[in-house]
Formats: sequence, structure tokens, C-alpha cells
Amino acid sequence: MILLTLIIPLAVGILLGYLLRNRKLVKLDKVSLAVIVILIFSLGFGIGSNNELLNAMPKVGFNALIISVLTILFSIAFVKAGRRMVKA
Amino acid sequence: MIKYVIAALALGAAAGYLNNNFLNVIPNALVSDQLFSVTLTVLLFVFGFSFGLDKDAMDKMKRTGPKILAFPLFVVLGSLLGGLVGGLILRIDVAGAMAVSAGYGWYTLSGPLIGQLFGAELGTLGFAANFFRELLTITAIPLMVKLDKYAPVASGGATTMDTTLPVIMRYCGSDMLITAFSNGLILTLIAPFTIIAIASFI
Repeated sequence: MILLTLIIPLAVGILLGYLLRNRKLVKLDKVSLAVIVILIFSLGFGIGSNNELLNAMPKVGFNALIISVLTILFSIAFVKAGRRMVKA
Repeated sequence: MIKYVIAALALGAAAGYLNNNFLNVIPNALVSDQLFSVTLTVLLFVFGFSFGLDKDAMDKMKRTGPKILAFPLFVVLGSLLGGLVGGLILRIDVAGAMAVSAGYGWYTLSGPLIGQLFGAELGTLGFAANFFRELLTITAIPLMVKLDKYAPVASGGATTMDTTLPVIMRYCGSDMLITAFSNGLILTLIAPFTIIAIASFI
């Protein structure tokens, strides 16, 4: 599933872009913004139609938010520090 | 950019809620699964294409090289510490809280898996906390990039190969493509193992 829907389009895109590198091409920025908005809409749709998720919020929402924020902040700090360590 | 993203997210959530609970005009999965997969496939092609065209981005990538493979490791360590601190502050089962953080944002996995290993209550927490990780990565991304160029990748965890990749590409640029994608892929592969490992330690 991951291979079919994610890795193949990514690899084909990179290869094609690489092969067409020296040609004048239209900017894909406008296209991708429109598709991103549709993708985010479908992501929101999945959230809104997920009653299990919505019902969980009153019960565990606060604790979940605290853990989530801490997890994010520590991950950012570790990646920032780790980057200096490996000099990336 | 972020205005459109938040508006689309809110509209999508409202439409999904109405469709699921009142209207039932279309099957939910048609939008949340099929439409999502199609748009993601298109975007991955477009991002890959832009990356392939962009000589600077590829050169930057070559210089960083395999070092990007270390990023997911730092995300694992940071996440586990975040869970540990969160568990202590909230006075809940610390190992459980660490397992919650070890979902790395993949809430459809961590909910059921943590539920099975640690009980229903922590399962629900794992579900919600990892959902917030994805939601916050998308909505707070303009703030995160000010903190560090790689902050959105760190924050997104396992989601940086799919759900949060599009916003990351918009805010961090083409040269982040391989870093973000490989980070998400590796964390997705190791999430179930870290959760199970934490469960077997207690």
C-alpha cells in the first residue's frame, strides 16, 4: 500500500523532473496549492466523520493535548541538538 | 497559505460531521480515504518532480547524505522523553504515557494497539494525543519554522510521509522532501515496535 500510493509516484516524479531538468517548464506551485487544499479538506472530513475520535475529546482531550505538546517540543529540541551532533 | 489550510480543515471537518451524522449523502471513505489517497499520490508526484528539477535541492541533499537517517532516532528519543515528562506532570501511568508518545502521530495505529496492551483508557489517550500531534503540526507550522527549519519534520513524526508532508513542502521547501519522507517512513515502520517494547518492559 505504502509502496504503491507513496513511493512509486514520488520516485517517478523525481526521475521525470531530473530528466526534464534543462527544459523551460510551467510552475507547478499553483496546481499544488489547489491539490493541497483538497487534501486538507479530505483530512478534515476524516476527522469530522470519526465519531470515535470526537467522543474521546471530552474525556481525554486535555491530557492528550498536554502529552502531545510536550512530545512535539522535546522532539523539536532533540532534532535541533542532534543535528549539531551529526553536523547535518 | 495557512489560512487556506485551516479553512479547508474546518470545512472538511464540518462536512464530514454533517455527512456522517445527518445527511449521509456520500460514503465517508470516498472522501476520507479515496479522495485523500488520490490527492496525496498527485502531490507526491508533483513534489518529486519539483525536487528532480531543482538542482540546488538535490545538491543540498547530496551534501547532507545519509545523515538524515539519524533524524528519526532523535524524534524517537525526544518523543519518549516528552511522554515521560507528560506522564509525571499529569500523574498517570508513565510507561503508558511513553507508549502514547511512541505513536509518533500515527493515531489509527496507536489507539487500538495501546488499547490492547495498556487498556482502553490509555488507548483512547493514545488515539487523541497522536491525533493532536498531526493537527498541531499542520496548524502551527508557521510558528515551528521560525523555531528551526527542521522543527515541522520533528513535530510531524510518522506523519511526515503523508498527511503533514504537503504543508511541510510548502513551508520548508523542495530540499526537505527526502528528509521529511524518510523520517515519516522510518517512524511509521518502528512505531508498533517501540509501543510493544515499552509494554514488554513493564
